[in-house]
Amino acid sequence: MSDPATLALVTTGLSKSYRTGHVIQGRRPALQDLDLEVRAGEIFGYVGPNGSGKTTTLKLLVGLLKPDRGDARVLGEPLASRAWRFRAGYLPEHPYLYDYLTAAEYLEYAGRLFGMPRARRREKTRELLALVGLERSADVPLRRFSKGMVQRAGLAQALVNDPELVILDEPMSGLDPIGRRLVRDIILGLRRAGRTVFFSTHILSDAEALCDRVGVLRAGRLVRAGALSELLRLDVQHMEVFVSGLPEDVPALASARRERVGERLRLEVDERDLGRAVAAVEAAGARVLSVQPVRQTLEDYFFREMGTPGGGASSWGEG
Amino acid sequence: MSRLLAVAANTFRETVRERVLYNLVFFAVLMTLAGLLLGQLSIRQDEKILKDIGLASMDLFGTLIAVFIGTGLVSKEIERRSLYPLLAKPLGRGEFFLGKFAGLAFTLLVNVSVMAAGLALTLLATDRRPDPALAGAVYPILLGLLLVVAFAMLFSTLTSSALAAVFTVGVVVAGRFADVVRNMRDVAPGVPPWLAEALYAVLPNFRNFDFKDRVAYGEAVPAGVLAWVTVYGVVWIAIVLVLGLLSFRSRDFQ
Amino acid sequence: MRRSLALLLALLAPVVPWSQAQIDRRAGAFRAQEEVLYLWSGAHVKRLFPGFEGLAADVYWLRTVQYFGGQRLFAAHKRFELLRPLIEITTTLDPRLEMAYRYGAIFLSEPSPVGAGRPREGVEVLEAGVRNNPGSWRLRQDLGFFHYIYLHDPERAAAILDEAADLPGAAFWLRMLAADLLAKGGERANARRMWQQMYEQAEPGIIKENAALRLRILDSRDLADRLTGLVAEMERRTGRRPARLSELRSAGLWRGPLVDAAGMPFGYDAEEGRVFVESASPMWRPD
Repeated sequence: MSDPATLALVTTGLSKSYRTGHVIQGRRPALQDLDLEVRAGEIFGYVGPNGSGKTTTLKLLVGLLKPDRGDARVLGEPLASRAWRFRAGYLPEHPYLYDYLTAAEYLEYAGRLFGMPRARRREKTRELLALVGLERSADVPLRRFSKGMVQRAGLAQALVNDPELVILDEPMSGLDPIGRRLVRDIILGLRRAGRTVFFSTHILSDAEALCDRVGVLRAGRLVRAGALSELLRLDVQHMEVFVSGLPEDVPALASARRERVGERLRLEVDERDLGRAVAAVEAAGARVLSVQPVRQTLEDYFFREMGTPGGGASSWGEG
Repeated sequence: MSRLLAVAANTFRETVRERVLYNLVFFAVLMTLAGLLLGQLSIRQDEKILKDIGLASMDLFGTLIAVFIGTGLVSKEIERRSLYPLLAKPLGRGEFFLGKFAGLAFTLLVNVSVMAAGLALTLLATDRRPDPALAGAVYPILLGLLLVVAFAMLFSTLTSSALAAVFTVGVVVAGRFADVVRNMRDVAPGVPPWLAEALYAVLPNFRNFDFKDRVAYGEAVPAGVLAWVTVYGVVWIAIVLVLGLLSFRSRDFQ
Repeated sequence: MRRSLALLLALLAPVVPWSQAQIDRRAGAFRAQEEVLYLWSGAHVKRLFPGFEGLAADVYWLRTVQYFGGQRLFAAHKRFELLRPLIEITTTLDPRLEMAYRYGAIFLSEPSPVGAGRPREGVEVLEAGVRNNPGSWRLRQDLGFFHYIYLHDPERAAAILDEAADLPGAAFWLRMLAADLLAKGGERANARRMWQQMYEQAEPGIIKENAALRLRILDSRDLADRLTGLVAEMERRTGRRPARLSELRSAGLWRGPLVDAAGMPFGYDAEEGRVFVESASPMWRPD
């Protein structure tokens, strides 16, 4: 058990179920007995398939839902207190911001709600819009923003008060690769500044690339939580070699798995055999384009450890 | 408190930018001008007709505006989830709700003032002095509209925007027939008196805000009456807002 | 927080009826009753509701009944000055609302406290009704009745009843009644027949009640006349008039109570030997 002083977020037995049906009412448990710890200064990834309870958890933390059971402490304060909200930021999934306001107006409105003085609000607005790449659309009504632009504006509003803890629900959704790189950089920048980032995602590669620790949610229950290095076998599984111009039959490489990727050929080679394989390729007159070690990914971990939930890859969705 | 005012100011900004309201106000002013025409058709009583039409359209369109902004703006926030990022900030649900009401109330004040100015201008344009007694009818109308908005907000926390509008209109119509309900014994002897009494107690009596007829004849509304109408209005508004607060605070946003 | 809000509700709630009472006291219980001073003419109102005249007529009819005391014949706070304008507006909006003419006519014509005691106006209302509904024998019948009962004009009454009898659907006895009106004497019997007709034709409600009341008034007068006859009989037998009505009982000339249809004892003028309905009785009428 970690020292409570260093925990940005801790939940104990947090539970929530929804009423279902109109005439005959049942209860569907959305989250059951969540015991979670997020340490100060880390990036924590909260992963799970769609419908596993990630958004429910975040809404419970932020006060949009009331828990049936259990408790939580945020930045050392009780869940229901207002004090921690001055020090935290939240980005909901598919954010809807007032479309009759401009991006700058929205951020200034958010700043007013934190009690920031006008000059500070202005300055912060400019700074954040630049950070998320919207400085040229500062005075455009949000109504005219694309989905990706709204997402970035949503991230900006979560950072208005320079929060110690940032809670993000699917921060990459709706973004093109440039946008996603931007958000990744922002998250990494937050950690460098000593902030804590707690974000939920169903895109495993994002979690893998960013997180220090990960919590895995499935059907409302936390099934695993811990450092990535604990979860994954980080030893190298094999080497991935991209070559071009390799003739079909090269005896030294007969045992290597090969796969055509466009104009290149991808070989899977055991780590011990790397030197010999490279020599064989060059001897055959082909060119080695790149060599990469392949370790177990988070995705491999899930499909192996947990079995494919229901529809297999489809419930994880695409990034 | 400053957060509440921030919400109120933003709400007012929203209603101003939602340009549909302008159409309704424009209609109201148009009706007043139509009153001019109607006045020409009658041989006598044209000033009275003008005032009647002006006040009636202020009442009618004001009610429509109140229902529209009360349900549309609040239900929309809930349905579109635009209040999610806001409620996570140190903004209490009560501050949000009351701030919204303050913004809508101010909007109504502005709308009613515009329509009253329109009426005064129309009277001036026909070489008549605008009668200061008119204020005695305009002010209670405004109180009534604030109550309508409060009801609209209450229903918005409970159900969708369409149903909330229906319920609000229902309350307003029933409230205008409050006298009939009170007098149900005479009109419909089959109805048990306790039912009529109970119904009357629960409905807001919108007739209390209706002084159009008296004022149209130039008769002022006594200050004592206005004072008690204010008490009645403020208390009813407070009751409805408290109910709305209780509902909004306890709501889960799934 | 929730508790303090609930407490606030509990504190606010009783203020509502209290302030309502204050408003009523200062502005009048049915403030819109003051509309009587501000009611537009029917023509104006009609212009205001193009396409919705029928509905508007219903609303005004509702108010008429409500403000005028609804179902209670002897209700207090009746505002008779409201009646004529409200009926006028209602029937302008819907000229075929026969009920409105009939109601207005009765309660304008009936003497106080049941009505306004202005039979001329009541007849005018019926005349308007007849003009707007020339095919309605019922309205014309009522008009004839009213001429007889309230205006004491049997010739005009008979003429109108004759017209009514010509209309399709008219009751068969109208013509016979018209003829009887012209015969001298029998006013009370004729009036009784008219009230009996109005009683039978009316739906249960205030108009039926009024007709029943009228019949009981006639019964009381008949009984008074009969008792007067008995007084004369007693005088013939015993040579002197009874000093009190109860002596009729002891003389074996009458059994049962000596009261009118309202239960009020009859008055007796020993000098004239006349039994009459007491003026304090609900059964008393000026004529």
